[in-house]
Amino acid sequence: MPDASSAAVELRDVVKRFGDVVAVDHVSLRIAPGEFFALLGPSGSGKTTTLRMIGGFELPTEGEVLIEGEPQGYKPPYQRPVNTVFQNYALFPHMTVAQNIAFGLEMRGVPKEEIRRRVSEMLDLVRLSGYERRRPHQLSGGEQQRVALARALINRPKVLLLDEPLGALDLKLRKAMQLELKAIQEQVGITFIYVTHDQEEAITMANRIAVMNKGKVLQVGTPQEVYEQPQTFFVADFIGDTNFLPVQVMQVTAPVEVMTESGTRLTASWAEPTLRTGVKAVMAVRPERMHLYRPGSGPEGPEWNRVEGIIRQVIYKGLDIRYEVFVAGECSLHVRMPVGRSEGTFQRGEHVIVAWPRAAARVFRSES
Amino acid sequence: MNELLQRKPGLRAWLLLAPSFLWLLIFFIIPLGIIVVYSFLERDLYGGVVWKWTLENYRRVFDPLYFKTFLYSLWIAFLTAFFSLLFGYPLAYYIATRPEKTRNALVLALMIPFWTNFLVRTYAWLTLLRTNTGLINVWLQEWGIIDHPLPLFGNTFAITLGLVYGWMPDMILPIYAALEQLDRSLLEAAEDLYASGWQVFRRVIWPLSLPGVIAGTMLVFIPSLGAFVTPAILGGGKRLMIGNVITNQFLGAHDWPFGSALSVLMMAVMLLATLIYFRTGGEEARRGGLG
Repeated sequence: MPDASSAAVELRDVVKRFGDVVAVDHVSLRIAPGEFFALLGPSGSGKTTTLRMIGGFELPTEGEVLIEGEPQGYKPPYQRPVNTVFQNYALFPHMTVAQNIAFGLEMRGVPKEEIRRRVSEMLDLVRLSGYERRRPHQLSGGEQQRVALARALINRPKVLLLDEPLGALDLKLRKAMQLELKAIQEQVGITFIYVTHDQEEAITMANRIAVMNKGKVLQVGTPQEVYEQPQTFFVADFIGDTNFLPVQVMQVTAPVEVMTESGTRLTASWAEPTLRTGVKAVMAVRPERMHLYRPGSGPEGPEWNRVEGIIRQVIYKGLDIRYEVFVAGECSLHVRMPVGRSEGTFQRGEHVIVAWPRAAARVFRSES
Repeated sequence: MNELLQRKPGLRAWLLLAPSFLWLLIFFIIPLGIIVVYSFLERDLYGGVVWKWTLENYRRVFDPLYFKTFLYSLWIAFLTAFFSLLFGYPLAYYIATRPEKTRNALVLALMIPFWTNFLVRTYAWLTLLRTNTGLINVWLQEWGIIDHPLPLFGNTFAITLGLVYGWMPDMILPIYAALEQLDRSLLEAAEDLYASGWQVFRRVIWPLSLPGVIAGTMLVFIPSLGAFVTPAILGGGKRLMIGNVITNQFLGAHDWPFGSALSVLMMAVMLLATLIYFRTGGEEARRGGLG
């Protein structure tokens, strides 16, 4: 564990209540300098409130926010070494692009000559040179987004807070901006804290992700960790696609063993620590970790799980083929198979074996 | 008929516009034309006009006696707009920043005075302000706060007070409308970018509320310039505005041509003021970018 001074932002047991509503519930986080950190969660998960407490737009009811080791207490936003890119950009409609970007420096009384130089640097950085005199309403969504970014970055904050900055853009532009944002972050080396409800966005851009739900941080980890080793049902469900098989727990110590409702024994790499033998649970497996085989073939042994099923639907997606497999008495499983495997493709109505390795299966308490 | 209307949408539009167009023609354009024509005619001793063209009426308008009244009216209208803005803006801001329920209740409260006739409300001020028998002076003397009655009545103060009281809602409502639309995140953005409270106001709130301020100022300035009820009652007959002079030409002096000339001049000044204000302020408002 690094010491306090090495964290760009630290939240210590932060709670935020609005009346009776607990928006943020005992959240502790440490965000390292230069990190691209994502706060990911559905709406109402407390991620924006958490961001606003770092920015100083809300004050914690309990706990403490530290920026570069320094407690922020009741400091207002303009006394904190952070800047924010707002969800709807919040560009000043009555000012030009250059005036918008210059605003922060002007307020701090930076000499005019330096402002001019730094504004043009920023315009270069966000590839908007020549747009100085335009007004926000003359810009496209993506351009407005870049102005908002430049307006915040020009102040050279220790930490940049971004509140769903790509939420208003269409899908294609969003994908392009994701890569651009990440490139800019790497170029300027400033810590980014990024709020989003889009798990794909978080996975694409962030070094680390904190998954939030109902005001709590459920899991913090790299995109790979939260995707491959979710710690709760919510995380497994929220991030990526997942098959959930209802099961009963047979053994909680490794190797974890469970039984499906029709009596098939399955094995998993991990079970949620609070699970006890005999209780109902769910097994989670990613669609791309499942494989289809013709009856009588496919891998066998203690490391593998096998169930029989019938193909109900085949969807060709180009890169892969998605099968919906009906498992008698159980559920439907979604299986994603790369195109061009030796078995060839399967037809609708065909009997198949669905197999997946123990390592790909995790068992959670089912949430209702 | 139906078929004809379907084939000619232009005709349909004209038919729909016809009633309001007729209304404006009969009750606005024609009377206005009559006033303009009368202003170039000679008076008849009994209140009518003699059809002989003359510019005498316009020469008389610039007679110092009337012209001073004119300038005084401009001054009063300016004071009224100024104080309405000074007191109205903070109030509009306060209302616009309340939660929605409170906001609606406050706007309603703003309207309630209109339910009572303006004349009655102006007389109410009379009973408060009058020099010797007005309630304010009577009470202040009874409580021993003053020895002599304060000059609250029959002067510029009384007229301005009456007009500010009467027209301030017209200042507040457009400003409120502009401020209510103001995106709160702009204020947070300014605060995030190191702006102090005053700077947030000066650089963001004020320029974005300017269209409301301009509309409000015109809505207060123009009727104040032509006011006649308020100066007639609260001016105590000592202080006249141009509206009173015009009223008098038509009802007392039976000099319709001269009254018309004064009216035409007043309208010209209002038009000019509006144009100048919207040119200068309108430019600023456009840059305010509410479009």
